[in-house]
Amino acid sequence: MADQPREGELPTFVRVLFPPVAIAPAGLLLTHCVRTLARRQPNLFDRLGEWRSARYLVAPSDLAFAFIVVPDGEKSIVHVVGKNSPGSVDVAITGPLLTLLGLLDGTLDGDALFFHRIISISGRTEAILALRNTIEDAELRPADFFGLHGIVARLADAGILNGLSVVRWLIAGRAHATGKL
Amino acid sequence: MELVCPAGTPAALRAAVSAGADAIYCGFRDETNARNFPGLNFSAAELAEGVRFAHAHGARVLVAINTFAQTGRVGQWRKAVDEAAGCGADAVIAADLAVLDHVAKNHTGLRLHLSVQAAAATPEAIGFYVETFGVRRVVLPRILSVQEIAALNRSIDVETEAFVFGGLCVMVEGRCHLSSYATGRSPNLSGVCSPPEMVSYDEDEEGTAARLAGFTIDRYAPGQPTGYPTLCKGRFTAGEKTSYLFEDPVSLNAGNLISSLKAAGVTALKIEGRQRGKRYVTEVVRAFRKAVDAVEAGSDAGEIDRILSGMSEGGRQTAGAYRKTWR
Amino acid sequence: MIPASPIELALGPVFFHWSADRLTNFYRRIADEAPIDRVYIGEVVCGKRMPFSDPVWPETIERLERGGKQVVFSTLATPSTARERKSVEELCADGRLVEINDLTALRFRSGQPFVAGPFLNIYNEATARFLVGSGAQTICPPVELSLAAIGTMARTCFSAEFEVFAFGRLPLALSGRCYHARLHGLHKDSCQFTCEQDADGLAVDTIDGQEFLAINGVQTLSHQVQTFCPQPSELVSNNIRRLRLSPQTVDMVAVARAYRRLLDGQEPPETVRFVLSSLGLPGMQIDGYLRGGPGCQAPSPI
Repeated sequence: MADQPREGELPTFVRVLFPPVAIAPAGLLLTHCVRTLARRQPNLFDRLGEWRSARYLVAPSDLAFAFIVVPDGEKSIVHVVGKNSPGSVDVAITGPLLTLLGLLDGTLDGDALFFHRIISISGRTEAILALRNTIEDAELRPADFFGLHGIVARLADAGILNGLSVVRWLIAGRAHATGKL
Repeated sequence: MELVCPAGTPAALRAAVSAGADAIYCGFRDETNARNFPGLNFSAAELAEGVRFAHAHGARVLVAINTFAQTGRVGQWRKAVDEAAGCGADAVIAADLAVLDHVAKNHTGLRLHLSVQAAAATPEAIGFYVETFGVRRVVLPRILSVQEIAALNRSIDVETEAFVFGGLCVMVEGRCHLSSYATGRSPNLSGVCSPPEMVSYDEDEEGTAARLAGFTIDRYAPGQPTGYPTLCKGRFTAGEKTSYLFEDPVSLNAGNLISSLKAAGVTALKIEGRQRGKRYVTEVVRAFRKAVDAVEAGSDAGEIDRILSGMSEGGRQTAGAYRKTWR
Repeated sequence: MIPASPIELALGPVFFHWSADRLTNFYRRIADEAPIDRVYIGEVVCGKRMPFSDPVWPETIERLERGGKQVVFSTLATPSTARERKSVEELCADGRLVEINDLTALRFRSGQPFVAGPFLNIYNEATARFLVGSGAQTICPPVELSLAAIGTMARTCFSAEFEVFAFGRLPLALSGRCYHARLHGLHKDSCQFTCEQDADGLAVDTIDGQEFLAINGVQTLSHQVQTFCPQPSELVSNNIRRLRLSPQTVDMVAVARAYRRLLDGQEPPETVRFVLSSLGLPGMQIDGYLRGGPGCQAPSPI
């Protein structure tokens, strides 16, 4: 059972392809991306208030690793941790990777996902609420994370968002085919 | 009829305007408004920008300063009114006598709406607010039936606004201390009901228990959809019966009653949900825009049903007190 | 500090649907035996109950006044029907002091003396002063306010007497819906007055068996019982003029006597709380709101 992907999750082989140790350098890249974003949109993080310094554990249920995120503007930190040894965190959010990405760009409604148990939250609920509202207002596009501008940004946004929706569609189709939904 | 829509963030405000709202209501990022949740609401600069955006698109902005000022800190509420006026807000929505008095005495040009938190439900109470403070519109408590609203409108001389969609208070608004009894924070004291920092979802062998400050509000079997542990929507045991004693976990949808509310003399329809996201705002406002336009154009109920059936709010819905089933 | 005139005791209106006999007997004993200065009478929760209690009041008023009590008529907290609004208007015409629990009554009473009851939203000194300007002589603030907040109001608004809800199940909410009727599968209009079976309200527990609330028709109360037992000096320093005791089925004469001894400095708070606990209260003792915490918090040991 544990090996079978649940609704909206990536196929199991993805977990095997990307063990935590292989992905560790991604933390540095993501830290750089979030700090770049903070430099470009310094007011974006104001909404978080006291939760800027909170430690958020973002744990995609279909990956073998998780992220610790401290969304403190230009002092933001993202690092990759093993799922079973995340250390102390203020709040943890778990769900399929593509669903979590959908929350980031506002494609999906976090409340509905939460109440239908597709994502789950433990710890300081108010911290995740502050983050949710901050992200909502930020209206982030994929290009924002890579500091892209102009036509390149538009192409990147379209490519990434379309790509994500195609993958979501493929996964949903597979689930239908195997009678999982 | 005017469609009044919620905005918890500048992005939601823009979404509501784009989806066809006639007016947006929003609040400052502090205890002066009744949706004081982490990360929500507007700074003065954001409000000013929001007002500019709304006005440029032909929409109005109503600022909710609708909590009760705390002792020794009334100045903060008065300042919020002054800032709203300074930002060019089209109206202030208030409930506290001190705040209403401040608007009436110091901002005579500013439209004043009476918040639902004042729970003014009789011609005498409404008459008091109209005569004393020059209130121009009253947001009606969600405990009145359509017939009662019609009768009320016949005996008052002020605009009325009725909730048509979203979260539903089953208690008389502004008269409920259930939240502070369990948590120390409440709509009247701190602008928040069943505050998120007091919420826990605890897993055990029977499933998930949703608790507020340690009180179990509801329990869900494994895999079953959960709800937010709002006190009055919980399951409790009384007289050896376990039930949703106060209200089932439903939300209000009076979409099918738009024409009845119009006939009852209601001026404006209000959508609840400043704490909800852009996606919710866009979908609900778009559907209600179409439905209101259809009602104004004299379309039949079937057409309106078809428009509203596309709304993906999820969960169960009710017409609340409007259909008089409470009596 | 100069000793102020002694802090008074008031008996609040009965929230529950007590029979005419029960009300008559209750007030006879209060009139003759209880060390209470002021008695609020009248129906505040549900207008449908008024035909049952109305015949009781003439004799009760006479008896209470003969016993040296000041009688104050309390008015409905959520008047809605034409008949209910009419009754509020009639009570507001009374020459005695009247307690108003909804601004509907202010229309009829503005400019004449009144008591602003705990169902009005008086959360700050500016609102208190506004109502004093309209005729409020006594203010009993909402039960969720802390003693510190009430004190801030009382010290800056000294022309009104401040009264604190000290004893009884806390009135927490009112609804347009009757929960006794809903629980029994009835509509409000044909409720059969099932609320009469629960003279202290019907206990509401969580599904994990925690004692939590109590229902009384359209009203929701705390399951636990407020037993605010301050040092008298705390009340004096916060400019509190009176404590309000809200009727439950326990021996209210004994409750009043215990509070009188507390206010006169004859017994310390812990003794008074012990006396109260031996009376068979319908729930655990609490005083969290007045201490600035959640209402359900138990008194801290002294």
